[in-house]
Amino acid sequence: MTSTPTPSAAAAAPTTSSGAPRVAIRRRRRPTTPYLLLLPAVAILLVGLGYPVYWQVVTSLQQFGLMQQFGAPPTFVGLDNYVRIFTDDRLWAVVARSIAFCLVNAFLTVAIGLGLALLMRAVHSGVRIVLQVVLLLAWATPLVAAVTVFRWLFDYRTGVVNWLLVELGFEGYAGYAWLAQPLTFFGVATIVIVWMSVPFVAMSIYAGLTQVSEEVLEAARLDGAGPTQILWRILLPLVRPVLAIVLLLQIIWDLRVFAQIRLLQDAGAPVAETNLLGNFIYELGIGSQDFSGAAAVSIFVLLLTVLLSAPYVRSLMKEDAV
Amino acid sequence: MSAVTDAAPAAPPTVVPPRPAAARRSRPRVGKILLSVLGIVVSLVWLFPVYWMLLSAVTPNARLMASTPSFWPSHFTLANFTGVLSDSGFVGALRMSLMITGVTIVLVLTFAFLAALAISRWRFRGRTSFVLAVLFIQMLPAEGLFIAQYKMLSGVGESAPVLGLNSVLGVSILYTAMLVPFTIWMLRGFVAGVPAELEEAAMVDGLSRTKAFLRITFPLLAPGLVASGVYAFLQAWNEFTTALVVLPAESRQTLPIWLRSFLSASVNRGIDWAEVMAASTLIAVPVIVFFLFVQGRMTSGLVAGAVKG
Amino acid sequence: MKRTRTLATGLAASMTLALALTACGTADDDGGSTTADGTPEPADITLWLAGADTNDDLRAYLVDTFAEENPGSTLTIEEQDWADLVTKLTTALPDAANTPDVVEIGNTQSSTFTTAGAFREISPELYEELGGDKLLASFVEAGSVDGTHYALPYYYGSRYMFFRKDIWTKAGLEVPTTLGEFGDSVKELTTKKQSGFAMGGQDWRNGISWVFANGGELAVKDGDQWTSTLSDPNTVKGLEQWQDVFGASNLPATAKDVAYWDFLNDGTDGEAPDAATMMAPGWARWSIGDLTKNDKGEEVRDGMADDSTFDIFALPGVDGGVAPVFAGGSNMAVSAQSQHPELAENLMRIIYSDEYQTLLAQAGLGPANADFDKLMTVDADGNPNKFGEVTVATAQASKLTPPAPGWAAVEGALVLEELFQKIAEGGDVTALAAEYDEKITPMLNGQAG
Repeated sequence: MTSTPTPSAAAAAPTTSSGAPRVAIRRRRRPTTPYLLLLPAVAILLVGLGYPVYWQVVTSLQQFGLMQQFGAPPTFVGLDNYVRIFTDDRLWAVVARSIAFCLVNAFLTVAIGLGLALLMRAVHSGVRIVLQVVLLLAWATPLVAAVTVFRWLFDYRTGVVNWLLVELGFEGYAGYAWLAQPLTFFGVATIVIVWMSVPFVAMSIYAGLTQVSEEVLEAARLDGAGPTQILWRILLPLVRPVLAIVLLLQIIWDLRVFAQIRLLQDAGAPVAETNLLGNFIYELGIGSQDFSGAAAVSIFVLLLTVLLSAPYVRSLMKEDAV
Repeated sequence: MSAVTDAAPAAPPTVVPPRPAAARRSRPRVGKILLSVLGIVVSLVWLFPVYWMLLSAVTPNARLMASTPSFWPSHFTLANFTGVLSDSGFVGALRMSLMITGVTIVLVLTFAFLAALAISRWRFRGRTSFVLAVLFIQMLPAEGLFIAQYKMLSGVGESAPVLGLNSVLGVSILYTAMLVPFTIWMLRGFVAGVPAELEEAAMVDGLSRTKAFLRITFPLLAPGLVASGVYAFLQAWNEFTTALVVLPAESRQTLPIWLRSFLSASVNRGIDWAEVMAASTLIAVPVIVFFLFVQGRMTSGLVAGAVKG
Repeated sequence: MKRTRTLATGLAASMTLALALTACGTADDDGGSTTADGTPEPADITLWLAGADTNDDLRAYLVDTFAEENPGSTLTIEEQDWADLVTKLTTALPDAANTPDVVEIGNTQSSTFTTAGAFREISPELYEELGGDKLLASFVEAGSVDGTHYALPYYYGSRYMFFRKDIWTKAGLEVPTTLGEFGDSVKELTTKKQSGFAMGGQDWRNGISWVFANGGELAVKDGDQWTSTLSDPNTVKGLEQWQDVFGASNLPATAKDVAYWDFLNDGTDGEAPDAATMMAPGWARWSIGDLTKNDKGEEVRDGMADDSTFDIFALPGVDGGVAPVFAGGSNMAVSAQSQHPELAENLMRIIYSDEYQTLLAQAGLGPANADFDKLMTVDADGNPNKFGEVTVATAQASKLTPPAPGWAAVEGALVLEELFQKIAEGGDVTALAAEYDEKITPMLNGQAG
């Protein structure tokens, strides 16, 4: 599996930098085939998401609360809901917080994932297997279970974290409530999310690293390249595509964090100051029965995410030579 | 696989053809030993939450409240597990979760694979828009969709109960719609990695298109399908809020919902951390079993898919 | 079995859909079909219970009695999680094909759903039959709109104080007789390692007792508009007194209404307890006491058997007597969309029957019907039961949150948690009260946002 860019491999998958050749071979076929192949996926998206998205759009233009949910006819209010949420300071605070949280978590996850991937490459094979199994266990731990464990670890009264800190001489941490301050709350949330997300990132990057042949590295070493140079000039450029894609995915996923925050808030936290976008929408809709406001925020979030990721997606698409 | 080729042009010119490596063992090994120690330390840190979960699960609750925690099972008991298993909801929830996850994986992989095939092997009008749409659909916040999802399934259920509320199929379709976009994105790389020429060559050798596909392409794609399946498995297994709303009957709840109600019932009575940890452990076990089962394939799947993106 | 039932429900639903459509907008008079002789058509009806408070014996009684009294019909009980109850009621209640027929709902959530039209009207005749004026008045009010009844009380559980008698006695303190004395005592008992009175900062359900005790209100109705009255001088006084008492708690200002009972127990290795006093519903006693082994050999608490160590008292009022505390508990209502309203009403008759009310009282849940309160005050052998006595005494003085249409939104958005947390953190009560009045008033009247 340690293939190098040898002629045979190159023939198998012609370089994409020039674009067209790879797909050209199928041009002669009837162009209906791809549409037929797409049909099931498009159909399931329409069935599964069509009506909910339509409802979302329509509701965001209506006044729709609990009365309407119980049968009162909703009234059309145009863009009133949007005006209302845009003039709500809470929304902008939540947006800023969510973006900051998302970027910190995404970059931290990818950085640690990269570090672990490089570590796995550098250690004895026994240690590597141990690392892989441990990461697999963390990855396999279901979300609700993982958050529950961390809640228990950081519990202010009986949590083992406070106990350890006190044992280490930090008396101030006796009974310290980690979830009580927004900053430490997000610290714990970050630990949970990074703990859960790093395995996927680390394994993907490690998989990419194994593609770099030992011969290439050996050659570089013989040419006098030090470990730092090898890292920066060979390894990182080679896994750059993987890094780019996992970073994009982490950004998308971390912007949508909802359940982890909600389950941590259940333990007692300053809720309004720790809400992220998903929690804000949920609290507005299910919590306060302001369904139209929640719908308007959802649509706004969709547009915002598209807008924010557009440049990045475009460069990815270019690399993909669409 | 051929995956490196994409990135190869970016590699610096220091890359030269391999030479017989005479100095292979010449590098100092101290560094490697230090790094291995670091690796062990990282493993322990990462493992700790899982270990703590297991440890708490086999300790009586009254002992867990002790002011000095014990780091090994000093009062070993299986009572917490029997307590959880005697809860009437667990077995039913396990069955629901297994069925929903199973159906979802099959639907997701089938639909996403066909779409991935289309976008990686053909160039057609609307391809770019489709790829972009697929990426952007993932960005829709799910927290506002529940009411509409409920109304939809309830409406469908009036004429077709197998697709309605409380049905495995209904919730699986909602999950599939949510997971198909990313899976297409993920599989696209794998499909592109399997050269169409191999298939063509097999056809020249007299195989039918279907046979060529099944014998040549499909085995090469298996790791990719496994990797995507793992993703779908985790998502469907963990999903919480949609299941809460569209599976209203107590007998139809899934494991995460069961665990949460177990946890909050426990909150009212003073959290029985020991039983909650035992319950968490039980929920993790099927995932770990599944992972061990597909592990070999998954690693090679990640290898193949990784560089391709 | 399941499938046929679902199918049957589906068919029944589509048949009644035609009826429902013609009757749209008006109360669904008679959705359920009746046989020629006027008895309801046999069917399976569903009851949603919230949380695990209704124990297995009570559930079995309901299921068996219902089947007995309604030949051919069955009752299915489903337990819903308190945390997700509003979510599930919001989606399922308006849905004629899938609605539960009878639902338990938190007393403070009742008014919101009642106003939205979620429940079927309880006719004056039926109301009389189910207990009428003997039913707990504050709960009845929470389930009524303009004198029409929709949701009735199910059970109440009032909160009182559990304390470490040994610690109080050692400090030379007696059971306090006024609210001010209570505050002084618990502050005196507070050390760095031990709360005089364990209470979370976000725990407004216990905290509003101080507001009620000082004659304050959370909101009042003027005409058909609700106004938040946190800035009322009495309310402010109560909040300030609570802020002062919070000084006796070592809990974080963000801690919720958590399970405080463990705070009173000695540690498993004999460590001193974390708190000398705490406030909780009556059944908390079973999590308090010395460690003992139960029949199964598990280590459990003995239920405060040692009364020289553990004891209880009702929170005293400002000028003595019993303070009006917040009454926990729930209401029971028939869904407006129920396809079997007559069977649902038959179930209500069972719930409000003498037998079931007796069972509730014996299970330690405050019965809806005041006639059965006396059962709470004695144990099975007829001896006085101090737990029951205090429960009834506090319940008689208890109060509820305002029955405003938007109250569930205020709770759902965790507004009061936020306010009490800020007060616990030492914020300026007058300024906070004004700030939150402005926030809460529009929510109370069901205006979005």
